[in-house]
Amino acid sequence: MENSDDVPLSDEEPVTAQIVLRTLQEVWLNEKFSPELLQHQSDLVDCMLDQIQQMEENLCKLKKNDFRVVIHRMELDRIRYMVTDYLRIRLNKIEQYVIHILEQETSRSPEDAFLSPPEHKFAREYLAHMEDHFRLIALRHMPSNVQDFDKTKMAVAPNISSHIFLRVKKNITGVVIEGDSENRDEEVDLDENSQHIMQYKPIADYLKSGAVQLV
Amino acid sequence: MFRSLSPHYFSIEDIFATQERLPCKFVVPVHRLGFLDPSSESEDIAVGTSIELPFWLAQTLCSQRRNIVTVEIPKIYKEAYREILKADACVVDLHKFGLFFYEFGTYLSRLEHRDSAVIGSVLVQTFKERFRQVMDWAHNSGTDPAIIQRLDSLEKALFREGHQTRAQLDAWLNAGTGLITAAEMVVNHKKRKLAVLDDF
Amino acid sequence: MFCEKAFELIKELHRSPDILPLFNEDGVRQVLEEMKALFEHNQRDVNAHIGGDASYLSGVHLRHTALERNKRCLLAYLYDRLVRIRHMRWEFGSILPPEVKYNLCEPEILWFNKYSKSLANYMKSVGDSHGLNLTQDTKPPKSLYIEVRCQVDYGKFELDDGETVLLKKNSQHLLPRAQCEPLIRQGILEHIVH
Repeated sequence: MENSDDVPLSDEEPVTAQIVLRTLQEVWLNEKFSPELLQHQSDLVDCMLDQIQQMEENLCKLKKNDFRVVIHRMELDRIRYMVTDYLRIRLNKIEQYVIHILEQETSRSPEDAFLSPPEHKFAREYLAHMEDHFRLIALRHMPSNVQDFDKTKMAVAPNISSHIFLRVKKNITGVVIEGDSENRDEEVDLDENSQHIMQYKPIADYLKSGAVQLV
Repeated sequence: MFRSLSPHYFSIEDIFATQERLPCKFVVPVHRLGFLDPSSESEDIAVGTSIELPFWLAQTLCSQRRNIVTVEIPKIYKEAYREILKADACVVDLHKFGLFFYEFGTYLSRLEHRDSAVIGSVLVQTFKERFRQVMDWAHNSGTDPAIIQRLDSLEKALFREGHQTRAQLDAWLNAGTGLITAAEMVVNHKKRKLAVLDDF
Repeated sequence: MFCEKAFELIKELHRSPDILPLFNEDGVRQVLEEMKALFEHNQRDVNAHIGGDASYLSGVHLRHTALERNKRCLLAYLYDRLVRIRHMRWEFGSILPPEVKYNLCEPEILWFNKYSKSLANYMKSVGDSHGLNLTQDTKPPKSLYIEVRCQVDYGKFELDDGETVLLKKNSQHLLPRAQCEPLIRQGILEHIVH
């Protein structure tokens, strides 16, 4: 938030709260603009929600007509919006790309999981309910040789060739931009703090390692 | 939210695009399916019969492995029409060419047909030339709505997207965001309820 | 031509992108019947093929393609409807108005309830299980209080601080944004911006 230099409500570790907020804001924007699902950040979300709760409790201690209440409540509402919007965007992607996401998740170890445990549960249920539904209305009434729920065929994948805006956080050299039938492959260097519009695919790994920020 | 346009199994647009027809000529006889040719009364399809088939069917029948039919390119993708597009793509009523001009064309460009490659490049060229105009229309409030009727479905989607972002930008510049609205479905539902009441 | 009925279902959804049309039970049944017929004809021709006549294979292949196409159209019809029904959970909440529910078939209602439950469980588990309602806070907040106009005679509405307001049709109020957002989403209040 712009006014992050507000007087912090909690006396303990005010700096941490602000760092959490700033990180969460970056995470939210990255998730919002990236075509594919990124790694979950439940620790950050949990930490932020704890902070919200604490701030709310502190607010209750202030007098009702204290002008600080208005400012802080506003700030709280904005943070809550950011958290819910972030989680909503993730659920949306999980539903839309459910087969693809679950498939990718099988090759990841628990520490590298992209889905949080509750998200993983939600995704599995979503897919199972979809299959049950198809089976109930259609598949079981179909001839035996076309009754299968063919996940490879039915997977919907994000379009990672779509374009995004980004800001560079650390110098990167040698990003390979794939050519097409008319143009050859090209290599570009991205300077710290420069901004670009380009295809998502070549920078996907840099986004995941934190070298770029989507805007 | 406006996301990926790539076709997938459940895509309504893709099902529409693959429903477009193209002329096919049978190179082997097919028994008991004569009724597919409305002009014939025979029980079987004879070698040399020409029928317009939807793309989803033609595609599997003309594969190298099966080779049951040979396909012909629909006339709007043939040389005469390609020349029209090359001359000035912007003045063409693309809607009349085909509702799914780009999507269907993309499929044709992937067939093993001598015209496939050139169809592909005409599509790209046409899109590039018309894109600027579509965006210009979308961002101009004075655009005559009738003009949209001259766009194919992909261009229409882009137009709508452009139009919406323009409206959002205007709203933001004027009053800031934050207007909470009734859920879209709730609104539609109410409208229909009113319409039903009107019927009585 | 094969699969005309199945394509009709797809056209039906394409014609009305903003609402959920009545579930076309008859249409679905007809597609399933066509599939059954295609399958039976293929069985017959496969037997002829096994009997030594290879010339039936092209027909078998053609009908099988039609079977797969029917399947795709039918599942796409169901899928697209599920996406719309899912959307309803976010817009109407966990209880659908009867006139809306009327357009769903039994299995779709079943699916809606399962989805609703999954979503509720997920929302409960967020943030060390104090839970977070994701269907609220849908727009970035600009102010704490907003001016609203009442669309219906709603009756008494209690605010978090214990005060109550009487929401009468066409009355206007200045209320805490967070608390009246759900009512606005349901179309009971209208947010007024000058």
